[in-house]
Amino acid sequence: MFSALVKKEFLLVLRDKQALMALFVMPAIFILIMSVAMRDIFSQESISFDTAIVDADNTAISKTLEKDIAANKSFHLVDQSEAGFIVHIPKGYGDENSAKSPKIEIQVKGSAKSDVIELFKAKLLKEVVDLKLGIITERLSEFSDEAAAAVGSVKLSTDALFDLRYNEKKEVPNATQQSVPTWIVFGMFFIIIPMSTIYINERKQHTLARLNSMNVSAFSITLSKIIPYLFIAQIQVWVMVAVGMFIVPLFNTPALEINGSVAGLVFLSFALSIAAVGLSSLIAVIADSTEQATTIGGISNILLGSIGGVMVPKFFMPESMQTLANISPMSWGLDGFLDIFLKGGDFATILNESFMLLLFGAILLILSMILLHRKLNRGL
Amino acid sequence: MLIKVSNVTKRYGDIKALDGLSLEIKKGRIFGLLGVNGAGKSTLLSVLNGLTDIDEGDVEIFGLDLKKEIREIRNISSIVPQNLAFYEKLTVKENLEFFSNIQKASKENFLKAIEINDLSELLNQEASTLSGGQKRRLNMAIGLLNDPQIIYFDEPTVGIDPKSRNDILDSIRSYKDLGITVVYTSHYMNEIEKICDDVAVIAKGKLIEQGTLKEILQSKSQTLEKHFLELTSEAQDV
Repeated sequence: MFSALVKKEFLLVLRDKQALMALFVMPAIFILIMSVAMRDIFSQESISFDTAIVDADNTAISKTLEKDIAANKSFHLVDQSEAGFIVHIPKGYGDENSAKSPKIEIQVKGSAKSDVIELFKAKLLKEVVDLKLGIITERLSEFSDEAAAAVGSVKLSTDALFDLRYNEKKEVPNATQQSVPTWIVFGMFFIIIPMSTIYINERKQHTLARLNSMNVSAFSITLSKIIPYLFIAQIQVWVMVAVGMFIVPLFNTPALEINGSVAGLVFLSFALSIAAVGLSSLIAVIADSTEQATTIGGISNILLGSIGGVMVPKFFMPESMQTLANISPMSWGLDGFLDIFLKGGDFATILNESFMLLLFGAILLILSMILLHRKLNRGL
Repeated sequence: MLIKVSNVTKRYGDIKALDGLSLEIKKGRIFGLLGVNGAGKSTLLSVLNGLTDIDEGDVEIFGLDLKKEIREIRNISSIVPQNLAFYEKLTVKENLEFFSNIQKASKENFLKAIEINDLSELLNQEASTLSGGQKRRLNMAIGLLNDPQIIYFDEPTVGIDPKSRNDILDSIRSYKDLGITVVYTSHYMNEIEKICDDVAVIAKGKLIEQGTLKEILQSKSQTLEKHFLELTSEAQDV
């Protein structure tokens, strides 16, 4: 009897094309778009500004500045048409006899943010100051070698000036490492769509009552619905992982790497799917119509997602919001995935999150069984 | 006596859907249950299947106590609900196999349900693509899979064309030939006149009249429809 219930559920889900789109295509597209779109935001490499130099001065000094800028990895020299920043060196800039040299003009293209402009100015300032110090050193050497050596020893590189120490170094994911777990977690909770559609149609059409009249219990009905969705959720996880590993790199974006335990990943996905199925099952039993179920499901997904770090990564959140995030099962799932993808976590690392998810799912499943049992006894 | 309903009351909040209802249904007969909308017909069928608990009274089916032996009662009975209680996305065969496996029905019953309801040509068709009459036949076939001794039909001909309705009535008559007791609810008096042996009229959850169709028609010397309208309007006035 139980295998017939499971087979029926499988057939119904696999024939629901819209549901399959929601479960597989939507998160895959999200992973692709978000990984590519957020590539630069999450990048840990030094920023390189696309820069063009227009040298109206054409003196030895302006040429030296141009050479120094070109040698600095923070600047990527391109044509004016492609440049985000155009540096105009005005005529007379290198005039050593002039008391006050004219200002360098920086032309900013597009809508660069103020902090990006400030960073560009700081990088350029270093080259300008280096250049001026060189000139001063050269002039001083005509009077005093000692003074020239003292000025010449001044180094303006950040490595020479600052020693950076982290009290607590936080590992920050790259765009793919952030996107894949995020949309796996979010996508999995969309199980509510096929689950509630089938559940509510069964109730509305009195199919559940008919099954009840055939001695099928609420326990069997609920349990039979868990198995297909657990299976689908596992496929969902591995499809999304494959998208991150093989499709995303095709768009010049870092590939997903599984640095941690694969067994841990399987167990965590299983626990997460229990949580998603539990919530979906409860909503499907409570709701009176598919419209109501998809609305409640959609709202609860968005709320849990926004609290749990799906919409905005947790490490961008203030301390208080990060604490609040811990109430969301999506946050537990995300933390677990990041432990595996980012920190190379082993099986033990994800046990805490997995047990929380299992407990959450089990409580909701038991609750939905009790409610379904009551509804069946009331003739739905 | 196959079914004995004694002083059954079922309340939904303040409303009494069944109000001290008592009636008896004989074995091997087609029993017509008449009543206006909200009279309590569907509630009574749900009670007889154990789908709804009763607040007061007793029900005995084949000598089995409904309250204590519901699982056994369900094994020998079947309900064909007014709704099309099957899966639209499954084929006719998949639906029949599913409900058959659920009840551990025999292959013989599976084939019998297909034959009686004339579904052999439609087995591989998705249920959603069937006509209204074909869907009704599938709904009925599912009710036959567990080889029941009693079948409850809750208005099985709602919303279908006259030809399909006649086919369904013929099928139900053939159930009687298989020794199955049929409890049939309908709004259509001509259907009741056509297939039922015994009739009960209920209104506001109470039994108004019960007897064989022949007796009722002879004693009143009028059509069943006229008699039904008289009875139910009297009950509404009370």
